[in-house]
Amino acid sequence: MSQPIVAADRITKRFAGHTAVDSLSLTVPPGVIYGLLGPNGAGKSTTIRMILNIYAPDSGTVRLFGEAGTGRDHSGRIGYLPEERGLYPKMRVLDVLLFLAELKGVDRRAARPKALEWLERLGLSDWRMRKVNELSKGMQQKVQFISTILHEPDLLVMDEAFSGLDPVNSQVLKDTVLELRARGKTILFSTHIMEQAEKICDHVCIIARGKKLVDGTLADIKRTRGGRHLLINFDGARGEADRIFADQRQVAKADASGQFAELELAPQGDAQEILKALVTSGARLSRFELAEPSLNKIFIDLVGPDAATPAARPDTEVARA
Amino acid sequence: MRKVLAVIRREFIERVRQRWFWVMVVLGPLFFAAIFLLPTLLIGKGGVKHIAVVDGTTTAFGAQVTERLDGEPLFVAVRVQAGPGVVDSLITAVDVKAIDGFLVLSDAAVDSGKAMYRASNVSSFVTIGTLERVIGEMVNATRLEREGVNPRLVAKARIRLDLDSKKISGGKATGESAAQSFSLAYFMGIILYMAILLYGINVMSSVLEEKTTKIVEVLVSSLRPFQLLLGKVIGVGAVSMFQFLIWGVSTRLIISQRRHILGEGGMGDAGQVFQLPHVSAGTAIVFFAYFLGGFLLYSAMFAAVGAMSSNEQEARQAQQPVSMLLIVSFISMFAMLNDPGSVLSVTLSMIPFSSPIAMPVRWAAGNLPLHEVALSLGILFVSIVGVTWIAARIYRVGILMTGKRPNLKELVRWVRAA
Repeated sequence: MSQPIVAADRITKRFAGHTAVDSLSLTVPPGVIYGLLGPNGAGKSTTIRMILNIYAPDSGTVRLFGEAGTGRDHSGRIGYLPEERGLYPKMRVLDVLLFLAELKGVDRRAARPKALEWLERLGLSDWRMRKVNELSKGMQQKVQFISTILHEPDLLVMDEAFSGLDPVNSQVLKDTVLELRARGKTILFSTHIMEQAEKICDHVCIIARGKKLVDGTLADIKRTRGGRHLLINFDGARGEADRIFADQRQVAKADASGQFAELELAPQGDAQEILKALVTSGARLSRFELAEPSLNKIFIDLVGPDAATPAARPDTEVARA
Repeated sequence: MRKVLAVIRREFIERVRQRWFWVMVVLGPLFFAAIFLLPTLLIGKGGVKHIAVVDGTTTAFGAQVTERLDGEPLFVAVRVQAGPGVVDSLITAVDVKAIDGFLVLSDAAVDSGKAMYRASNVSSFVTIGTLERVIGEMVNATRLEREGVNPRLVAKARIRLDLDSKKISGGKATGESAAQSFSLAYFMGIILYMAILLYGINVMSSVLEEKTTKIVEVLVSSLRPFQLLLGKVIGVGAVSMFQFLIWGVSTRLIISQRRHILGEGGMGDAGQVFQLPHVSAGTAIVFFAYFLGGFLLYSAMFAAVGAMSSNEQEARQAQQPVSMLLIVSFISMFAMLNDPGSVLSVTLSMIPFSSPIAMPVRWAAGNLPLHEVALSLGILFVSIVGVTWIAARIYRVGILMTGKRPNLKELVRWVRAA
């Protein structure tokens, strides 16, 4: 089991005007949830497409399951949920599922009971003979998700996994992903929403502008990238918080907004001194915690504030809700 | 291969399930029957013309002409004695549509061949033609009689020509009349044009649907773009063959029942103008070979158009040059029917973009040397391979592209990209 499920070695993809992915290497060990993180336009989708052989890399190699052959050759073992979701609008739900399973090499007759079982499980049984475009968007998302895992893939690849999902489907997806991992499957997904990644990822790889910034287990990254962090929640009054946070002997970096602040302590900084100063200055606190940095903080530190505030996308709003 | 089969199966089943397929199945033959029968229907049933004959002759000529016209199926004629104000009142009658028109005859008709016809509509060449023929014959007869020729001899001389024309093929008269050859060529030209266009555009919308719904990304993660394209073209092609099969069977039925059908409309004569053709095995083979060739050639181009467009509107625009090729071939069909052996006809039947329509039309219209057909098919085959190669490359890049439609330079780069 030591063979990595995905081993990309210095893969590069150039498009007309720019280099989308630049000599990127990553290794996904078996049985983990692997997060490919980066701001919009970082090259996440292109990386995923190269792993799946939808695009051939201009240079570099991708090895899957420790075996020869491209992503398309192994497609029967891979489930893929692209960022842009879509199904045949005029096909019946069950027919779409059977067709997509067939493309994964599953016999129609074998796929049928499984498809019905999944439809039952996600509450879509009554809709199996309806056309896709008669379903609500949320139901279509469920159908697409079923199509991704119907053939019981060993590797599940999801691009912007949670974008566009309503809260219910988001939860269904998360539960299923965790269940798949429990059964020894590997999940690779990309996202630009750090809170989600932090909750479920074992491994992460952060990329920006086509290049890898850091990768490893979430715990390692937090430890090495960490420093000592203070999480502070105010309860109304902030006192002279801004002056105290600006004290460079105590605070190396501050990320304060309204009622919340995340501080990175300076090498000689003392959390107790900061607490005392805050209370003395009249601030009221509901939380004062010495903690590991959030993934979001690490991410922002790495890619810079510009890259970390992705252009507003309507679908990300839904995902955060 | 199993994956390609899955694509073929999906294309076929989903299409045959659609309502429009069955609408076409039913309406198709009706439509083609209409193409055949409409001209004759219009001629035969353009309505009986009610006309008045204003008789200003001093002989029996006016009465004779009236009698003859009334005997024609096209006319109901009534003789009116010429007099002051008659013409004016008839003009009013035409105006209020009490009658369709009136003919003014005087002695000048026989002397100098002049007569006058006034009607609400003088564009019907059948009406005018019949009038000219009847009056001309009557003038001839009257002049001959006036010169003392025996009226019985005149009647005998007045015989309508019935030109019996038969196509010669392989040194034998085929029993296929010129009218049949013509209508066969005409029919094949129309059906080839419509079928290639219809099913080519079907392939295009299928490509476009997968692209706009974004499902194509899932598909090409499972099978190669070329496999997808192949399955799609074969699937749609199979639907067209299925449709032809249904039509073929129903056409045979129509042919076997044609006397009955034509008789029903009271148009025994119609069958003579537009006879339902006899289709030989050779003709059927040529037809299907060129339909298949034309469909493959054009569907590859339409697929590329679908792949480079990102919505229906763009596709409609981008497909115009492709449709144009087909439309030009179709329009030239009429020139080719006139002279299947002309340089234009031969050239068009060799150019691969027009040969799928041109060659079957020439084949049906006249006897063709087999080596010409073989050469034309050879060129077509090589072109299909070449065009498909280019189209598949455009397709492969295009289906994953978003944003604006590529210009020619970008297209060339797509094709070149490994």
